[in-house]
Amino acid sequence: MNQLHSAFTLFLSLLVEAIPFLLLGVLLSSCLLFLINEQQLITKIPKNPVLGAIFGSLIGFLFPVCECGNIPVARRLLLKGVSPSVAISFLLAAPTINPIVIWSTWVAFGNQPQIVIFRVLFSSAIAIIVGSVFSTQKDPRSLLQTSFARRLNPVFNSNLAAEAKNTPGQSPGKSPLLQSGSFILDGGQVLPFNDSLLLDADQSQLSLKSKGQSFLDNLLQEFSELGGMLVLGSAIAAMIQVFVPREIILNLGQDTITSILAMMLLAVIVSICSTVDSFFALSFAATFTGSSLLAFLVFGTTIDIKSIGLMTSIFKPKIIIYIFTIVAQLTFIFTLIYSYFF
Amino acid sequence: MNSASSRKLNNKNTSKPNFWQSWLDGLALLTWGSLLLKYAVTGQYKLLIHPNYYGLVLVSSIILLTLGIVKIKLILTSTRQHPREHLALFPPGFSSSLLVCVAIAGLLIPPKILTSQSAIKTGVRDIPSTRFQPQSFRTATKPEERSLIEWIRTINAYPEPDAYNGQLANISGFVLHLPELPDNYLMLSRFVITCCAVDAYPVGIPVKLETSRQTYPPDTWLEIQGEMIGETLSVKEQVSSKAKIDKRSVVLAAQSIKSIPTPADPYSYQ
Repeated sequence: MNQLHSAFTLFLSLLVEAIPFLLLGVLLSSCLLFLINEQQLITKIPKNPVLGAIFGSLIGFLFPVCECGNIPVARRLLLKGVSPSVAISFLLAAPTINPIVIWSTWVAFGNQPQIVIFRVLFSSAIAIIVGSVFSTQKDPRSLLQTSFARRLNPVFNSNLAAEAKNTPGQSPGKSPLLQSGSFILDGGQVLPFNDSLLLDADQSQLSLKSKGQSFLDNLLQEFSELGGMLVLGSAIAAMIQVFVPREIILNLGQDTITSILAMMLLAVIVSICSTVDSFFALSFAATFTGSSLLAFLVFGTTIDIKSIGLMTSIFKPKIIIYIFTIVAQLTFIFTLIYSYFF
Repeated sequence: MNSASSRKLNNKNTSKPNFWQSWLDGLALLTWGSLLLKYAVTGQYKLLIHPNYYGLVLVSSIILLTLGIVKIKLILTSTRQHPREHLALFPPGFSSSLLVCVAIAGLLIPPKILTSQSAIKTGVRDIPSTRFQPQSFRTATKPEERSLIEWIRTINAYPEPDAYNGQLANISGFVLHLPELPDNYLMLSRFVITCCAVDAYPVGIPVKLETSRQTYPPDTWLEIQGEMIGETLSVKEQVSSKAKIDKRSVVLAAQSIKSIPTPADPYSYQ
């Protein structure tokens, strides 16, 4: 009982420290939804694949903060003709490369500034490398989930057409019934997952009042969704700290390689939002090596059960496995190198 | 007729969860706003997080309460539901219910002060050189006016145990029994918080008693006056290791021991 009360206190402490940052992140992300003009941004993307990847990883600074917020953005970018390499580097970097995440990491690890610095460096390096790797694939449709790629056809064809000065062919009309493809569950309703879902959100035409309404909707939805994740993640962290015997944790946490692997595994399972995952990592600061904490902070923001689930709405499963493997290997190598220097 | 009524039922089924979900969202905001406000007002936040973040907690509680009120107002004034462009993994309403439950539990159950049990688990550091960045410390302070933490910082900045021989000390903290120390030694300890309670770690100074330490059960708060001496103690090299090493340490030879109530802010912060 005493133990349970201790665990509950640690759990609350994590939440009380994290909720303000979560709120801040969600507020910022909902504001930016309205302030950033995507169309203008797209015209500024450099043509060079590596520069494009760097650009993609940096627009995280301007866009919604968490994984679940930036997947819709990445989809919109792809539909507007942005190359997948830019979209992938954006997806991988955006959860880390943004002011709130950097601040909350600083709050948690201010006494070990190298963790904060290398979290940013490693994440952007990984995002740029993975983005560049995928830029070698010229036809983006082969990377994307079949039904999403089909939606992309008109965009892609018109791009080609513009280059070849041909008129694009119209795709034949389809029966509204018996549609194949993906559907998403949204508030109890089944919505076909298609362009209309993505393109109708042209914010410039909305009135101020409905802008305010959808600002609030977005904010509430993100807060409750990410808050739920945070509650589950904090509960896991507090229970591990109180109930798992110390010998096991220390055996695992003091060895360079097992500690990195253990934290990476934990990162996949605990789908805690990047804004507040540094507080989660903090609860392992006394027992795990610095490099393994870094592995958690770098890997967990990009790859976890939640983001894999969300990515299936864009990419083919094979591509997700590629992304997962490359990011995992890079994280492992980078943090291993880090462990030799710090 | 039959199909018409079933359609009606369906409509009802789809609109009802939305309605409840809106209420749950609003409730989650309100309960979390009140929980944070309660911690800020009662001072209990000090048991959970570093006081530096007091402002952050207070401001968030106000924002949450405001948003909650706005949300409830919207539910009451308009019934139309907005389609949302957002992906969710949880079933609708699950997240919000979870948040509401936790906030209510938090309102009912007060946070607990960390005990010697967790201190032994974390491992006491008499000279926590890894976490402390030795900063400016006031050597001008009279030894008997230094707090436990100031003593630790002083020793940490100048780790020569015998340099403190004969200095008077008057420190308070909670009792910790370390199994590796002889029966007439206890650790007078305090938890130090850098960010929040999860990273709290105990620091302590060994105290030499004239009697057995069993007189002072763990977690009792004591104010001890005495004289610092340098002694060789056999301590664990690391928390995890079983091997013990002999280490020269600063030890407080107790002269007077007074039991004190648990202070309102039992932690130190850095």
